Amino acid sequence: MESNTIIKLKDVNFYYGPSQALTDISMTFGKNKVTALIGPSGCGKSTLLRLLNRMNDLIDGTRVEGEILFEEKNIYAPDVDPVEIRRKIGMVFQKPNPFPKTIYNNIAYGPKLTGVNGGDLDTLVELSLKQSVLWDEVKDVLNKSAMNLSGGQQQRLCIARALAMKPDILLMDEPTSALDPISTAKIEELIEELKKDYTIIIVTHNMQQAARISDETAFFYIGSLIEYNKTEKIFTKPEVKQTEDYITGRFG
Amino acid sequence: MQSSKNNSMKWRYLKQHVFFGMVRASALIITLALGGIIFYIVYNGIGAISWEFITKPPTHSMTQGGIMPAILGTIYLTVGAIAIGLPLGIASAIYLTEYAKQGRVIRFLKVGINCLAGVPSVVFGLFGLGFFVIFLKFGSSILSGSLTLGFLILPTIIGASEEALKAVPQTFREASLSLGVSKWQTTYRIVLPNAMPGILTGSILGIGRAAGETAPIMFTAAAYFTAKLPGSIFDEVMALPYHIYVLATAGTNIEATRPIQFGTVLVLVAVVLGIDLIAIIIRSYMRRNKRW
Repeated sequence: MESNTIIKLKDVNFYYGPSQALTDISMTFGKNKVTALIGPSGCGKSTLLRLLNRMNDLIDGTRVEGEILFEEKNIYAPDVDPVEIRRKIGMVFQKPNPFPKTIYNNIAYGPKLTGVNGGDLDTLVELSLKQSVLWDEVKDVLNKSAMNLSGGQQQRLCIARALAMKPDILLMDEPTSALDPISTAKIEELIEELKKDYTIIIVTHNMQQAARISDETAFFYIGSLIEYNKTEKIFTKPEVKQTEDYITGRFG
Repeated sequence: MQSSKNNSMKWRYLKQHVFFGMVRASALIITLALGGIIFYIVYNGIGAISWEFITKPPTHSMTQGGIMPAILGTIYLTVGAIAIGLPLGIASAIYLTEYAKQGRVIRFLKVGINCLAGVPSVVFGLFGLGFFVIFLKFGSSILSGSLTLGFLILPTIIGASEEALKAVPQTFREASLSLGVSKWQTTYRIVLPNAMPGILTGSILGIGRAAGETAPIMFTAAAYFTAKLPGSIFDEVMALPYHIYVLATAGTNIEATRPIQFGTVLVLVAVVLGIDLIAIIIRSYMRRNKRW
């Protein structure tokens, strides 16, 4: 495995009960890269994302075939604890979902319970909020409920919450689809900043967003990986006709 | 043509009026019935209420004096029933909604719990007598009575807890699990605190039932008369519902003690409302930060 690869999928098939959601996916994700997953609704991109931190385990009746190697170890091996995987592979969801707790406790929650950075929570909270560029807006209201923040602030709080676990990878499932353009721009800037230290895999419905922020782009269609290449290449000279049709808006 | 259209409009208006009238009448009847019962109890019972009535034990073969031991007994039994029913009920509901794989076994279990809710309370009383009083040798005691009442209110609490747990947004669970927090910690730290107000709301119904039931305690806990207060959970107690039953059916002078009977009923209603009020205060305290 190349040294700049952090995740490698080998012939992955995935089923919800009897229906197959992903077919023969083999691909690698580069370290400290932003990889965008695009494709029409129901193409399996979110399903793939949730496979990477075993969130699909929560749904009854799902089945995975093939291997997903994270740092050369199959995360679906029987001796692997999904809880451990999720500590290293964080996630940000489509709708901001802060806990109904204070801003401080939203960030401190994960580290406190899992013993990550057990020592200095105050510093960790400050650092995480600074990383997600929220610190200046909330430093005086850390003990107020996170539910009072705006949608965009809530989403940056959720990013800070994930960062506080010091993950290696950050999975983002359409993180800006519920946000206004200004909040979206802030999150995109943030992603640009975060990729220095983290590997980011982002699902997006917004083609411009994929073009703006990602290094690599993977196009999915009906559960299959159709084309996977440098973002620039995908958006200027796609090799497959389906990809071209999708990015030029002919379907989707 | 025009007139037939007008007629059908009129007819629809009429139907609407009749229907609204019926709905309004139903609401009115319920309100009147409730108001009537409360008025009747207060009107007949208020005369018996005095400081002595609620702080002194009965005297003269229970035809005079107060009902303090019965008030205390009912509070003990109700608190005991909550202490047993609430943790057990919440734990069962957590298993059913958070852990158990949905399937035939769980459906069967849920049917069982619903059946339990429909079992007449006297059956619980006999079960308590056979199991707690005799088999486990707890005797007729606060412990036996609390256990019996605890089991009686279990289906109510399980049902309320299940609904409250299901109402906690799935996104909270996902957020917590995605941080690498274990399932149990997620349940304990995120799901349960957010479900607690709902659990208490539903459990208030059970609390009222535990305080008011006669049949389950008459074999397991309630004494006809004790002058002394219970010293431990293995002692018998007097209890308000049973005291009312005794005075109204087997007292030494049924007619003469009518005011005491109504006074006791009034106190019972007040005790139930008081316990509910405490639950409501705890609930609003827990709710202060919750909004989603």
